[in-house]
Formats: sequence, C-alpha cells, structure tokens
Amino acid sequence: MITLNRRKALGLMGGAVTAAGLATPALSQNKKITVGALRFTSHSGSFVAVERGYFADAGLDVELKFFQAAQPMAVAIASGDVDYAVTAISGGLISLADKGAIKVIGGALSEEAGIDGQKILASDAAFNAGLTSPAGLDGKSFGMSTAGSSFHYMGSKVAEAEGVTVKFKPLQKVGAIIGALKSGQIDAWSIVPHIAKPLAGSGAVHIIGSIADYLPDYQVTTVFTSTQNASDEKAMTGDFLAGFSKGVADYNAAMVDKTGGAEDETAMVDLIHKYVYTDRPREKAAPSIINGSMRLNAGAALNMGSVEDQLNWFKSENLVDAKVTLETLVDASYVETT
Amino acid sequence: MDIRLSGISHSYGEVEVMRDITLDVPSGRIVCIVGPSGCGKSTLLRFIGGLERPDRGEVLQLGAPPTGCLNPLTYVFQDFALLPWRSVAGNIALVLEDHGLPRAQMDEIIQDVLARTKLSDFAQALPKQLSGGMKQRVAIARAMAVNPAVMLMDEPLSALDSQTRELLMDDLIGLWTRTPFTAVYVTHNLAEAVRLGHSIVVLSRRPGQIREVVHLDMPLAERGLGDPDLDRKQQYLWALMRDEARAADAELIHV
Amino acid sequence: MSEAPDTARRVAFRGGGFAPTPRRFVGAAVFILLIVLAEIGTRTGVISPLTLPKPSDVLATFGDLYRSGLLWKHLGPSLSRLAVGATLGVSLGISVGILIGLFSYIRAGLVPLVAALFPIPKIALLPLFVIWFGIDEGSKYALIAFGTFTPTVVATYGAVDNVDRTLIRMGQSFGLSWVSIVRKIVLPGAMPGILSGLRISLAIAIILLVAAEMLGAEYGIGAYILEAGALYDLERLFAGVVILSVLGVLVSMAIGLIERRLLVWRV
Repeated sequence: MITLNRRKALGLMGGAVTAAGLATPALSQNKKITVGALRFTSHSGSFVAVERGYFADAGLDVELKFFQAAQPMAVAIASGDVDYAVTAISGGLISLADKGAIKVIGGALSEEAGIDGQKILASDAAFNAGLTSPAGLDGKSFGMSTAGSSFHYMGSKVAEAEGVTVKFKPLQKVGAIIGALKSGQIDAWSIVPHIAKPLAGSGAVHIIGSIADYLPDYQVTTVFTSTQNASDEKAMTGDFLAGFSKGVADYNAAMVDKTGGAEDETAMVDLIHKYVYTDRPREKAAPSIINGSMRLNAGAALNMGSVEDQLNWFKSENLVDAKVTLETLVDASYVETT
Repeated sequence: MDIRLSGISHSYGEVEVMRDITLDVPSGRIVCIVGPSGCGKSTLLRFIGGLERPDRGEVLQLGAPPTGCLNPLTYVFQDFALLPWRSVAGNIALVLEDHGLPRAQMDEIIQDVLARTKLSDFAQALPKQLSGGMKQRVAIARAMAVNPAVMLMDEPLSALDSQTRELLMDDLIGLWTRTPFTAVYVTHNLAEAVRLGHSIVVLSRRPGQIREVVHLDMPLAERGLGDPDLDRKQQYLWALMRDEARAADAELIHV
Repeated sequence: MSEAPDTARRVAFRGGGFAPTPRRFVGAAVFILLIVLAEIGTRTGVISPLTLPKPSDVLATFGDLYRSGLLWKHLGPSLSRLAVGATLGVSLGISVGILIGLFSYIRAGLVPLVAALFPIPKIALLPLFVIWFGIDEGSKYALIAFGTFTPTVVATYGAVDNVDRTLIRMGQSFGLSWVSIVRKIVLPGAMPGILSGLRISLAIAIILLVAAEMLGAEYGIGAYILEAGALYDLERLFAGVVILSVLGVLVSMAIGLIERRLLVWRV
C-alpha cells in the first residue's frame, strides 16, 4: 500500500534529482554495507535513509557504525571496515586520499546564506576582556581538536581575513575544547550551531561571529568512501548516494524548509532522537535538534571551489603533501558539482 | 667491667626458650656458651647487648667501663655485617663518626686496629674484594675500634671454612694475649670453645638452662690444635651434649 | 699404553645450553634486517604505503625536521616537561617511599592510598589537571609528576624494606643515632632498588609525555606525534616514535651509568 504524501513526494524528488547525475540504481538485492556516522544532526541523511527504508529501496542492507570522532572513521574507511561515511575535510582525510585509500564523492553540509551556520565563540573571560568580535582575536588562543582539523582551517581563515594572529591549542576532543572554553583556558573556538547555541545560552561563552561571513559556501562536511568503492563499485556507490540523498531531502524539507509543517518536524525530531542526544529525554533533546538544523547538500552536491580552497590551505600550511591534486581527493563523477 | 645475668627467662609466645639463667662474665675472660641448636644461645647474647628484652630477670653491668670506651657492649656477628658500599677503613670509621672525635684521632684509631688485625694494606678495599676470613677480621677490627668493655661474639667463625677458622682462632688468641679483653663467645663448635674459652657454659636444649659450667685453666696461648687435654675436655663436653643434641635435632621447628 | 678396549665409548657431552652468553651485534643485526625488509617491501609495493612508511622516507622526514630547526623546537619543551615533571614526581616519590619504609603509621596510612592511586590511568585525569594547574605547562608537569610518583613510591619502600636487617641491627649495636642509621645504612642500602625503580618511572614519564601533550601543546615530541597521527602522516609518526625510543634508550643508559658509579660495591 503506497500513499504518497508530500514528504515522500519531496523525498522522491530529491532522489530523482540525484539520480539524474547517476547511473540507474542497480538494485543489487540486499547488498550488505556499513555506513559510518557520528551522533550529530549533520549526519541525519544516513539516519533518515535507514529509518525510512531508502537504502533498502536502493537494494542496500545498511548497518550503521558509530564513531566518537571523524579521524578513526576515516581510518576505518581506509581499512575497508566501513564503506561510506560523512566527515569534514581534514589533513588526515587528504593524507589518506594521497595514499590512494579514500575518495570524496559528494557533499553533505555547507554554509548557506540565510541559514544559521557555524558560530565563532569566545570564552566569558575573553569576552569580558574585550573579545567581542573576531577582529579582536589577535594574540588569543583558539581551540582545535588537532592540527589539520576543520577547526584549524576555520580559525586560520578567520584570522587571515581579520589580519590577526591566533595561537592554536590542540585539545584532541570536542569535549575537551568545550571544557577549556568554559573554564577560560582558551579564548575562542568555532563550532556548528547546535553546539554553539546551547553553550551561549548557558552564559559561559559568547557568540561573536559567524563562519559564513568569512567562508561563504564553505563545504563543511563531505561524503567519502574507499578508492576501491569509488572506482570498482560504481553501481553500489551510486545506490548509496541515491538512498542517502532521499534521506537528505526528507531532512531538509522537515527541518530547514519546513514544508511539512509541525507534524512533519515532530516526526523528524523523533527519528533523529533515536540517534542523537539519546542520553537526554526527548523534550530536552528536541530544542537542540531543531536549533542545530543546517541545510544538508541536496543530491549530495559538492562545492568544488570550497574543497579546492581547503586543499590549498592545507598545502600552504605544510600539513599535507604539496603534490596532492583535487583529482586525487575528489571523484567528481557521482554528484553535481559547483 | 663485669656482666651479671640473673634469673633470665624468656618465651616466644607459647614456646619457652630459656629458663632461669644466672651467670657472671668476669672482666678480662672469654666465656663460651655452647649448646644444641635452638637452646637460645644467640638470644641470650642479644639480651646481654640490649638488642632484645627478656621476659623475666635482668642483665647488669657491674662497675664502670674503661676510659676511652665508646661502646661498652660490642657485637661481632656471624655474617660480618659490613656495609658493602664502604671500604674497610670506611666500615671502621662508621662506628666512630657519631662520637664527635677529631679527624686525626679517628684516623689514628683506624690505623691502630687495622695494624692489630693485619689489615693495613687493605684499608681502601671494598668488602666484595675480601675473603670471608678477612671480612671477619674487619668486623673484629671494627669492634676493637670502639674499645669495648665486653665483646659479644655470635658464632663469629661459623660462616668460615675450617682452615680459615684455625687461622682466625690463632689471631683471636694473639689479640687476647697482647691485650686481654672480656668476651661472651657463642658457638656450637666445641673445638672453638675449648681453644678460646676460660670457662664454657653448657646449655640444655629448649627451654635453655645451664647444665654445667666447665672451667679451663690452661693459658690460651698454650692451647694448640690436637692438644690431648683439650681433646679430653671436648669429649667430655660432647658426652654432656650428645643426647640433648640428638633430641633437639628431632624436634619440630615451632618458631 | 694399552689400546682402548672395543667396548670403550666416549662419554657423550650433555651439559650444554641454558646458559645465556652475550652475542654482540645480533641485536643490531635484527634491527637492520627488519628495516631493510620494510624498505624492500614498501619499495616493491608488497607493503602498501597505508600500512608502513618507507624507512628511507622516515629518515628524510627526520632530516627535514633537523634542518628546519623544528627538531629542537619540539625537543626543547618535551625535555623540560620531562625534566621538571619527573624530578618532581621522583623526588616526592622517594621521600614518601622512605617515610613509608621507616614509619609504621605512615606505612599504614599511605600504602593503601598509593595502591589506590597506582592503577588510575593518569591520562584520564588530564582534563582535571588542566582545571587545577592550567592548560599550559602546569598540567603537563603535574601529569608526568603524578605518573612517576606512584611507581617510585612503591619501588622505594620496597627497597627500604629489603635493606639487610642485620646491618641495621649492627648499627644499633654500635649505638649509631637514628639519623646516622637512616643516612649511612638504610639509604645506601636502598639505592639499588630505588635506581631500578627509577628505570621504570622514567620510562613511564616518556610514555606519559605523549598524553601530557594531548591538551594545548603547540610544540613537543608528543604533540608532533599526535599531529602526525591526526594527519595520517606515517613518516612523521614514525620519526616521532623513533625520537621517543631514542630518548628511552638514552635515559636507560644514563641510569646504567649512574648505577655503575654509585653501585660499584655491588657483588
């Protein structure tokens, strides 16, 4: 029994958009694959596709595998333990691509004018001492997980645009950065809105700017897979992207464009809550999930300009080999690129 | 200075090790204590030197120690107890350092006792370079350095082989002959007892009691290896001890 | 001379083996063989660059590090963190260990505490140390100090316990003061145990260096290794690890030297 409501129709349309750039779905029946994910709302494309059977429709039996950080997930793709995943472009990811292990095949999340994007935060102490806008970052310490992470890229770009120098403090984990920022051990940081807003709401930190002002159309996260999957399993990769794009379309419709109304949003929050903020009751998780809504890339479209800018920055910082080309990093044959 | 033991009794928990021992150690004499193993010989020596306290009875010092005596009751241990990280001279210096003597006087004492024990050439040697006999001579030199009123010798020759033991006995006799010292000499070796003892106290097996005190009048310097008189005394002592020793050997160890 | 009868047979030797004898250069040969195998494997492609870097590339990376002056920029802070942290932890550990060895009340009070502290993974406490001692050098010193403290305490009071009691009785029988007995008999007697404990403590200090530089270290060998790991730059990762290994060997050699100097008296 198939009833086409608006949500599903949109989903199908999203899928159709993607499919346009793809080979016809191979519908290889129940092919078992593993998809890596972090428990962030920005990974909702995979969650929705699993929950609403879009992967199954594409003939894929997807098992989600959860990670604590992007870095081990990238290594798991390289080792073949995970087939597809979503993560930010980092020095580690580029190094793995350089070693012929992985390829970026699509976009997942980017900054977009008009939609809340990543925020620049200042600690309470630094804020009170005058750090009220990114222009005041000179000589301040800026948190990052590791050198060559997306935080490092964002911080550098902001500093460059403001003509200031910041000191980067590697703290390995997002939790450690939050702790250091709250206690004033570091002065500033940048992070996705669903983490930034609650932190600012608690009064321990202050939002002093938006990344989008410095990096418009910044391709924050990408879909990537092993080089082998990208080159030898084209049908399967296409199927995955098709299912993933349907999930993305549902998410955008419910959470960003809100074309489905309150009922649709509630259903989507319920779905996401199965994966994100599972340690909190629904009523506490819901505001965070709603606050954190950022548009996911429809049809997994990829902003090549932003990817190239990022690659060039990593090269200029000597974080990756200067010989890495855009083609080494990206297999642009699967999705629309801009 | 004399030592008097009166009514010494002692138990380790349930096990009575010593019963009512009364004994005089006269100045300038060597008193040997012999007995089967486990009769409390070494414990008795620790009572005399104040390293342990008896349950009942007391140990008395009669008279004042001689002038220049730094440590009236001084032990010579079976296992030498030399500090392996100090040289021969350093080991002797150890027992003088706490007395605030001027450096020159300390050196003089060390030179003197090393000369008396024929160790002058080895002053800078470490204990690990020395044979067992030499180590015990260092320990004896160390004991003499503090000019003791009474030397408490706990089986000092038992860790040595028989030839070395003979040599050291000659050394001890030589030392005593030149400057008579007072000593309580604990041993299980009857040959040592008849060579070195002015009187020999025979203890019974546990609980240790004095069975007999044997006096030897022959001057130490005249006692030699294989002397028939000494052999007879030794046989007499062995006759006193044989059954006790056998019974002691068959006992289960309690402590 | 009579000839040996027909039945005479030479007694077969059966007493060999079970006696390790030094074989020089074998250790070095194993090292070189492994490195050569790795080089051949990575050059021919049998070993993928994802699995292992080329040893020659690691060497080149090390060369770059040295030429660019970054080596000293990384080594300097690491060595000072090691020096300050380990000095704090070891000296405190030796003091507490000696107190435990000498006083029954302190032993009764502190031994269970040390036993409780020993198995705590010190890395887990790093965020706490950052709050207590600040994100800069303080927390790094504290982590290394804490990590070296507990094994030093255990080694030290074990060493004090193992000092030959007959030597202490000897000291008492000669009327030595308590201070003299501790200074001249207990401490030198415990020295071998303390030094062998030091070997372990300092190895732990080097292990903890990487952990200490996890939070907020821009420079340092540990930070360098962590950065290389995050970038999946195996050449830098191995270059960093080799530096730590060399550091460990040097520390071990230094302690060996001290042992040979201080413990000549050992049989």
